Amino acid sequence: MLANLKKPSLYLPLLSLVIVFGGWELVGRSINPLLFSPPSVVAAEFVELYRSGVLIEAAQVTMRALFLGYAMAVIVGVPFGVVMGAFDRFGDILQPYLYAIFATPRVVLVPLIVVWFGIGFEARLFLVFFWSAIAISANTAQGVRHARPDLVEVARSFRVTRLQLARHVLIPGAIPFVLAGLRIGAERAIVGVIIGEMFLQIVGLGGVIQQGSSELVPAQMLVAVVIIASAGTLIVTALDMLERRFQNWKGA
Amino acid sequence: MKKRSKAQVRRDQIVGLVIFLSVWEIAARLLGNKLVLPSVSQILAALGDLIASGELITAMAESIWLLIVGLIVSTILGFVLGALVARSRTAYWMLNPYFSALFATPTIALVPLVLVWFGFGFPGRVIVVVLAAVVPIMFSVASGLRDDPKDLVDVARSFGVTGELQLLYRVRVRAALPVLLAGLRLAAGRGVVGMAVAETYLRLGGIGGLIKSYGSMFQTDYVFASILPLSLLGIAIVSVIGRIERRLHWT
Repeated sequence: MLANLKKPSLYLPLLSLVIVFGGWELVGRSINPLLFSPPSVVAAEFVELYRSGVLIEAAQVTMRALFLGYAMAVIVGVPFGVVMGAFDRFGDILQPYLYAIFATPRVVLVPLIVVWFGIGFEARLFLVFFWSAIAISANTAQGVRHARPDLVEVARSFRVTRLQLARHVLIPGAIPFVLAGLRIGAERAIVGVIIGEMFLQIVGLGGVIQQGSSELVPAQMLVAVVIIASAGTLIVTALDMLERRFQNWKGA
Repeated sequence: MKKRSKAQVRRDQIVGLVIFLSVWEIAARLLGNKLVLPSVSQILAALGDLIASGELITAMAESIWLLIVGLIVSTILGFVLGALVARSRTAYWMLNPYFSALFATPTIALVPLVLVWFGFGFPGRVIVVVLAAVVPIMFSVASGLRDDPKDLVDVARSFGVTGELQLLYRVRVRAALPVLLAGLRLAAGRGVVGMAVAETYLRLGGIGGLIKSYGSMFQTDYVFASILPLSLLGIAIVSVIGRIERRLHWT
């Protein structure tokens, strides 16, 4: 009975979708369709926001900051992680700070970011880039450090050069960790861009939520939330699949 | 690569901290702009002030209370949902997609909706913490209970433990404890974020509210002084759970 627990099923999710949406529609309509915005109201709002071009523009603004910040985080984070892993003393000294920054909720850092970077594009870019880069470099460093000693030993006994060692043992060994870092970094990046759009300059999809909030239009907020959630799920699932593909490289 | 000893690492870190703080102090003094970068001594003075006035203690107590209530609700809810999803295929396919989506959605994006639907009082704030923290608990409960400890269940049966509920509590939950704690650790980290989000976005309160109100007055030294205890709180909770986890590593 337990073995086929995860056997995919199409009709069960569909059935539950019907139940949830139907129930929501019924309850929402009978209490207050404006406040509880049942799916039909949300769908109408989506069409309206799409037609007026608001949605497309907001999505573009969000994606621009997200992808640019994330790309920067990858470009900076991976090499930095390699350095942290290779010079373990440097890594050890730096790690507590990275951990502390990583553990601090970003919403409370908004006042500092305003003072340092203002409220514009740079500030949002920083919110995306910095935390994403920390996740990527911390995981990369871990990967570099966790090179399997037995493989390193074997390689050494064949008298390989440092470069060969890096190419054939260290880098393949680190790749699963780097990929994990890329996934965690992407999750962080998505949250970062939304925080920036809701608390700094009210733009993008986060701005659509914030506007819906100040005008008390839950349907508008839900449209943006659904788009953010779908885009986030898509990005993270793609990176997750990539990670799984390389999982066996991690070794025992 | 040879491993460096713990004492060595600790010593390096202390030296690093001293250097870091001195560089900060000197840089801040050279810059001479309290708004952009207050010096370490100014931050410590602000921290002392916050402690002496009792402001920090009150705020921390309020935050910790919110966090505890939120995590307890998350744990109960996560247990029920996780057990359902682990033991029934119907529940798995009917519930899991929503919670996966919730996990991928930034909590901050949901807060305005919570505000509209549940208000900005204590219940609303607890809901924000739960939204942030419930999914890791649910998933870890589900994966912990799914790995069927067959031999343990058989032994328990032969000792007269009967009934699915008894088995669930006496054997399955205990066998799954390491996984549950890992989920709780993840949930606590996310819960702290949810707490801060709730306190800055909904009615200002607790440590998040303290930071935000000093931030809007541009008193950067007080902002730093109140962020510090919040970071420490997050790190402390996660490391305490991590420590329990290592101690309980009996399987």
